[in-house]
Amino acid sequence: MKTLLGLGIIIITLVLVGLQWVNSGGLTQHEIRSAGNPTEAIEALMQDVQAKNWDRAYARLANTNDIEKPAFIRDLAGSYGSLRTYSSLDSFDVWPLRATADQAKLRVNMHWSTAIGPIDDVRDLNVEQKGGNWKVDWPVPKFNDVPPQVVPVNYLRWDIINRGPEDVWGEQNVDSPQVKIISMNPVERPDRLIILGEIENEDTVPAYVNVNATLLDQNQNPLSQEGSFDKISHTLLPKQVSPYRIDFPGVKLSQVKSVRMDSKAMLIPASADPVIEVAGQQIASDPLGKRILKGQLINQSGQVVNIAQALAAFYDANGKVIWVSDGYVDQALLPQTPVSFAVDLPDDVAKRVQNSHITVNHYSVNNNS
Amino acid sequence: MTRTFGFLGFMIAAVLLRGAQAADLQVPKQVVAGNAFSIPTSGSGEASFYLQGPGSASKRKVQLGNAIEVAEEETRDAGRYIATVCSSDGCNGADFFVTASGPAHLSFLVHPSRVPVATNDAITATAFVFDKFHNLVLQPVKVEFRVSLKDAPEVARAETTSNGVAWMSMNSSHKGGLAQVTASSGDILEKRVVQQVPSDACNLRIRAVRTGKFINVETDPVRDCSGNPVPDGTIVSITQVTDKGKTTVDTPIKRGVAKAQLPEAGNATISVASGVAIGNEVRVGGAQ
Amino acid sequence: MRKISPRLCVLLALAAGAFGFLPMAHAADALPQVRLNADKIAPRPIEELTGNNIVRDYSLAWQSLAEAMDQNRAELLDAYFTGFAKDRFSSTVADQKKNGLRTRYIDHGHNVQAFFYSPNGDAMQLRDTAQLEIQLFDGSKMIRQENVTLHYLVIMTPGADRWEVRSLEAVPNF
Repeated sequence: MKTLLGLGIIIITLVLVGLQWVNSGGLTQHEIRSAGNPTEAIEALMQDVQAKNWDRAYARLANTNDIEKPAFIRDLAGSYGSLRTYSSLDSFDVWPLRATADQAKLRVNMHWSTAIGPIDDVRDLNVEQKGGNWKVDWPVPKFNDVPPQVVPVNYLRWDIINRGPEDVWGEQNVDSPQVKIISMNPVERPDRLIILGEIENEDTVPAYVNVNATLLDQNQNPLSQEGSFDKISHTLLPKQVSPYRIDFPGVKLSQVKSVRMDSKAMLIPASADPVIEVAGQQIASDPLGKRILKGQLINQSGQVVNIAQALAAFYDANGKVIWVSDGYVDQALLPQTPVSFAVDLPDDVAKRVQNSHITVNHYSVNNNS
Repeated sequence: MTRTFGFLGFMIAAVLLRGAQAADLQVPKQVVAGNAFSIPTSGSGEASFYLQGPGSASKRKVQLGNAIEVAEEETRDAGRYIATVCSSDGCNGADFFVTASGPAHLSFLVHPSRVPVATNDAITATAFVFDKFHNLVLQPVKVEFRVSLKDAPEVARAETTSNGVAWMSMNSSHKGGLAQVTASSGDILEKRVVQQVPSDACNLRIRAVRTGKFINVETDPVRDCSGNPVPDGTIVSITQVTDKGKTTVDTPIKRGVAKAQLPEAGNATISVASGVAIGNEVRVGGAQ
Repeated sequence: MRKISPRLCVLLALAAGAFGFLPMAHAADALPQVRLNADKIAPRPIEELTGNNIVRDYSLAWQSLAEAMDQNRAELLDAYFTGFAKDRFSSTVADQKKNGLRTRYIDHGHNVQAFFYSPNGDAMQLRDTAQLEIQLFDGSKMIRQENVTLHYLVIMTPGADRWEVRSLEAVPNF
């Protein structure tokens, strides 16, 4: 009896000690100690980011003295209703760049699954060994604070008053905006046919536009029909020009005899604010060696632009549109704060590019236009 | 004898029965809309009168031998009517047409509601003439079209309707503004408004001034080739090219001019465009 | 004499009824034939697609008018009629329903000439020579039957995805 009592007390004590060890982060410490090499350190960090276990992820950093946890979380999870706040880390690839006994540099390509499709984020990370553990030196993010100020908004705004539902034949109504497709070029790629060009709002009122294309075969029968979806700036202010791109996967140019274009435009309320500057545009190569057009978006208004999309048209020496591509920015555009963007450009197309123009699509929660 | 009397009786009965039958209806060939008229009947006894028209279908009891009164409310809609009288002996009918009365309304279609200045056959106007019952007036009617714009001579043209419709087209004026387009016939008048808007920007010019860390770019007042100010809100693209890259700003016109503030970045070439109209280039930091 | 089985009688009666109804069903479903001539249309030329759509929609308009007047259902006019034409025919249907009347149109085709197309394309005028058999019913009793050639002056205007009849006026002659 006494022996049993004694055994029971020991067991209970061990269980309590064990619980206390877990609560004090002992398990975490144990798991952290298990990052035996630089790659494992980054993989473990990425897994924590995937699980949105920020405490554990932050514990894997080597430079917690330099970077505060809220800033680290904001860097990865996003803020201000940006695209990143609607995203989750789907997968990642890690590969080493260089290594010594206690330091290494690796490249990680984070594949984010967002509300508008996949977005890649490539970062080079330093990893160092401290006390037998490999920990990640996370780059300290720089967040520009927007100084408090009053920004007057005096850009033009358009409101629409339509005719009522009563059908009084001949009663005056406002016409739909006049838009015109000013160019259309078919481009064949290995896996698809792409129709691209530009559309202009020729009118003096804002227009919501969409462009569809129907491919006709040798017998003038419809082969396929697609729309521009988000590869166009749908809201066009007066005299604004937008590129458009319509993809036909699996179609060859030889199958197509002609293309029937169809542009639709309707009147919408709109505002000429915000104005977004596209600065420092240049064609370069990204860390993975792909050709890109990169630059910075600067929101010149006083309101936050939650989600921005850069839509690029590339022209050859004759001014013909030879490529259209787009890239979403997963950070919000704070007022007067530059945010980097990049859009892809195929190598073979990059050689022929003479000029380009960027149009910025934007969405703000507080402004539906 | 019995057979004779029987035959006679039969004949008398036949005559009597025939007396109760309605005779053919006599209706006018055409009636002007909204006019009442009478349909004489013969015979005796009760009958049902049916009047089927484009906008109505009525049925009522009538006495044969009395005239059937067709009220003015029953002939409002132009078109073909079928009048039928049915009694115990069967039905008889006739048809007639109701035609429109005098002009009372114009359905006036004017397009577009916005038109660029100085464009040929830009404004079209179509007028359908209806009477007070909304019947199309098919008799030829004179319709006068007028286009008037502030500080510009009025343009007027008269057309005669054919099958109830008259139309015309005219050029938009060189001056922008609200043009009033009217169609009139006698006392009837309908008005519409067409906004004559400036065309594409013409002679687009910019000036660039370096102020500290920025270059302030401003256009001259933006006008079309007829001198009309391009409306505020129209987008102007300002582009700066340096050896460090390119910067563009799509900025709307405000109070007649478009402005942008670009970063100072050494020697720069600044250009401007609006829609498909291209303006001048300015070099900053080097010879202009 | 051999007795006919009751079951066979029922089957024969059903078959007779079906055959009896078949022409009606066929007449109701068959689209009225419309032949369009637009050689003299002015001032705006007519596009081939527009011409095809006019034929289709005018034919469907007549079919829906026949059904509305036969079944006394004004809602059948909603698809292809608009403006005063729709108001008038709806009023006729309401009167018919109130008085226990019905009109059956048996459509033998339309020869249509398009002669006016407004410059902006928002109105078209047609002359229709229609071959019709018209039957008027009071309850189940037919009170009038006629085979006629009628002349109609028609105004059609474009709707969201079809052309609609805005005016359908019978005239003594063109």
